[in-house]
Amino acid sequence: MKKLFYIISLLIIVIVFIAPFVNLFIIPTLHDFALVLKNENTIKAIKNSILVSSSVGGLCILLGLPLAWILTRTDLPYKNIFRTWFCLPYAIPPFVGAIGWIILANPTSGILNQWFGLHLNIYSFTGLVWVETSFLFTFVLLSSLTILDHMDSSLEEAARLSGASGLRVFIDIAIPLLKPAIISGFILSCLATAASFGIPALIGGPARIYLMTTQIYTYQRMGTAEGIQMSIALSAILGLTTLIILYGTQYFFGSNKNFTVGGKTSRPSLVKLGNLKIPILTTLVLILFIIFILPIFGVLLSALSPIQGSWNISNLSLSNFSRVLFHTEETARALGQSLLLGFLAALICTFFAFFFNYFIYRTKWIGRDFASIALSLPFSTPGTILALALIVSFSRGFFGFGPSLYNTLWIILLAYIIKYLSLSLKTVGDGYQQIHPSLEEAARISGASWLAVMRTIYLPLLSSTLMASSFLVFMPVLSELTMTILLTGPGLETIGPLLFQFQEYSDVGGGGAAVLSTIIIAFIFILNFTLKTLSNGRYGL
Amino acid sequence: MSHVNFENIGKKYGDELWAVQDLNFEIKDSEFISFLGPSGCGKTTTLRMIAGLEENTHGKIYFDSEIVSDPLNGYFLLPEKRNVGMVFQSYAVWPHMNVFDNVAYPLKFQKMNKDKIHDEVIKILNAVDLKGLELRKSHELSGGQQQRVALARGLVMKPRILLLDEPLSNLDAKLREKMRKDIRQLQQEFKLTMVYVTHDQREDFQMSDTILVMNRGKIEQIGTPDDILNNPKSEFVTDFIRSGE
Repeated sequence: MKKLFYIISLLIIVIVFIAPFVNLFIIPTLHDFALVLKNENTIKAIKNSILVSSSVGGLCILLGLPLAWILTRTDLPYKNIFRTWFCLPYAIPPFVGAIGWIILANPTSGILNQWFGLHLNIYSFTGLVWVETSFLFTFVLLSSLTILDHMDSSLEEAARLSGASGLRVFIDIAIPLLKPAIISGFILSCLATAASFGIPALIGGPARIYLMTTQIYTYQRMGTAEGIQMSIALSAILGLTTLIILYGTQYFFGSNKNFTVGGKTSRPSLVKLGNLKIPILTTLVLILFIIFILPIFGVLLSALSPIQGSWNISNLSLSNFSRVLFHTEETARALGQSLLLGFLAALICTFFAFFFNYFIYRTKWIGRDFASIALSLPFSTPGTILALALIVSFSRGFFGFGPSLYNTLWIILLAYIIKYLSLSLKTVGDGYQQIHPSLEEAARISGASWLAVMRTIYLPLLSSTLMASSFLVFMPVLSELTMTILLTGPGLETIGPLLFQFQEYSDVGGGGAAVLSTIIIAFIFILNFTLKTLSNGRYGL
Repeated sequence: MSHVNFENIGKKYGDELWAVQDLNFEIKDSEFISFLGPSGCGKTTTLRMIAGLEENTHGKIYFDSEIVSDPLNGYFLLPEKRNVGMVFQSYAVWPHMNVFDNVAYPLKFQKMNKDKIHDEVIKILNAVDLKGLELRKSHELSGGQQQRVALARGLVMKPRILLLDEPLSNLDAKLREKMRKDIRQLQQEFKLTMVYVTHDQREDFQMSDTILVMNRGKIEQIGTPDDILNNPKSEFVTDFIRSGE
C-alpha cells in the first residue's frame, strides 16, 4: 500500500515536474537560438534584465540588511511592530504596488506630481528599479532576520567588550558573519527581479523597457510560429541561466549553514542607540510610509475617486466599486474562478505534501532526494518559463496523449500546483520533523496499518501545519499573474490577469485596476490575520 | 504468551557495517529477559527487530513455531500484525489523545465492542495505578504517569511479548525504584514474556530471570543475574558489571 503510494507519487513527479521542463529545454534548435539572439529586441531585453536585476539586488541589500540588524540587535522601541509592518510587502502581489506607484507618480496625472508640483516619472528605469526594490527587499530582510535571530550573539558581545561601538560591531562582526546571507540575498533578489512579470509589464511597458520575461510574453503574443519559437528559445536561455546562477552560487559559496549559529536562542544584550534613537525611529517610519503606506493610499484614493486624474480627498464615492463589481461581467467570474483555483490548489498541494513528506522523513527509500529537488525546482523557476513549458507539453494532450489542456482551467490549476507545492512541502515537512517517530511506532505496534497511522496519528498531530500549508498556497494563487497571463483565455478570467487587462486597455480611465487591487489587499490582510490568529502566531506575518 | 527464537540473526548496513551479527538465543514463555550493554551495542536494534520496527537482513526470527521474519525468502510480518506490546524510552504517549484513548487505541484494531473496550481499559488503568486520570492529556501528566500510560497501552492488547526500551531512564531515582517493583509484579501477575533493554549495570537487570550482555553487535554472555555477577565469561563483562559499582 505504502510502496504503491510512493511509486504513484514518483510517477506524478516525473510526468508533471520533470518532463515539461526537459521538453522545453530540448525543443529549441541551434537555429532557434541564433534567430532569437540575432533579434535586436532580445539583446536589449537581456541587457535590461541584467542591469535592472543587479541594481535591484544591490539596493535590496542596502535596505534590507541594516534594517534587519536594527530590528534585532538594538534597543529601538516598537521593534516587533516594525517587524510586522516591514515584512508585510512580502505578502502583497508586487503588481499591486506597481498600480499604486503608477497612480502616485505617472507623468501626466500622478498624485504626487499634482499635489506637490513634482516631476516624477514612474515610467523610467529608476521607477522600475524603485518599485521592484520596494517589494523584493523583504527577501533579504526576512532571511537576515531569521539568521540574526539564531546567530550566537556572544560573538558580537565579545566585540563590544573589546571596545567597539554599535556601528563598528555591525561592520566588523555582523556583516562578515552575514556574508553568506548577503550573497544569497543578493542572488535571490536578482533572480526574483529577472523572473518578475507584473512590475516590468505595467511600468517597463509604457517606458519601453522590456525585460526577458516581458519580451517572452510579447513574442508569445505575436501568435506566429516564429514568435512561439523565439519565446521558447528565450525561455530556455532565461531558465538555464537561472538554474546555473542559483546552483552555481550554492556550489561556490556553500549552503547557508556555514556560519556560526548558536544552538540556544540566547537573549542578546542590545546595542544602545542613545541620541540616535529618535532620528532612527523617524527614518524607519518615513521609509515605511514611502514604501508601503503611500502606494496603498494611492490605490485607495484611485479606487474611490469618481474621476481619475483629478485627485481630491473631499470627493470620494463607491461608484468605481459598483461599476467593476456589478456592471462588469468578467469580475464576478474572475473572483469565483480565482477562489476556486486557490481552494483546489491549496487542497491538492497540502494533500500531496502530507503523504510525500512521510516518504521523505520516515522512510529511506531510493529516489527521495531526487524527488525533493525536482519538487523544489519550479518554485525558483521564473513563472513565465513554467507556463510556457506547460503550454508546450500539454497543449496537444500530454505529449500527444489525452485531451488538450490548453485554454482550460486545468492547465492553470496545474501551473499553480507545480509552482507552489514547494511551499506546502516545506511547511508540512517542518511539521513532520517535530513529531517523534516513536509516536508512529507505538501505533504500528498497537495494530494500526500505515493508512490508519496516517489518519489517527499524523493527521491530527499535523492539523495546524496542514492548515498553514493551505493558507500559504492559497494566498499567492489568489492573485497570481505571471503564469496565468500566458495560460488564460476568454472565459478563463482570474483576478490577476483581469487587473492587468483593466490597467492596460479596458478600464484605463476608471480606476478598475485600483478597485481590484483594493480587493486583493483586503483579502490578503484578512487571510494573513486569520492564519496568524488560528496558529497562535506561528505562521503568517 | 509466546517464546521467541533468534536464529543466526544479523543486520548489515551497506557492505561492511554490521549493526548486529550472529545472534542465536531463545526467550522462553513467561520469561523476563534483560538486554544489557553500553549504548550503541545493538541491544535496542535487537529489541526493535522483535517488534518488526527494524528488519533483520540475515537469519530467521520465530514466535513459537511461526516465522515472523525470514529475509532470505522475502518474508516479513508487519509490526501491526505481530501483537507485540512496547514501552518506548520517550513514552510515545500521543499528545492529541487523552489517557483513556491512548490506552484504548490498540483495542480499536481488535474488533471489540465499545463496552468491552471500556471495561478492559479501566481494568488495566487500575492495575497500573492510573485510576481517575482517564481524561487527562499527556501534557497534564508527570513523567512517571506517562510511563504508566505507555505500560498500560502495551498491556491492554494482551501481547504475545512485551518490550521495554530503557523505560526508567528518564525518571528520578525514587520513582525508578517503585516502577521497577511494579513492572516485575505485573510481569509475574500477567505471566508476561518480557524483554527489557537497559544500560544500567547496577539494579535494573537484577530483577530479571535471564540476562543477555551485548557488545559491538554481538552476544558476550547469556545467563542468570548470579551467573553474570559471579562467573563473567569475558573481560568485557567483568569490566562492564564492575564499572557500575
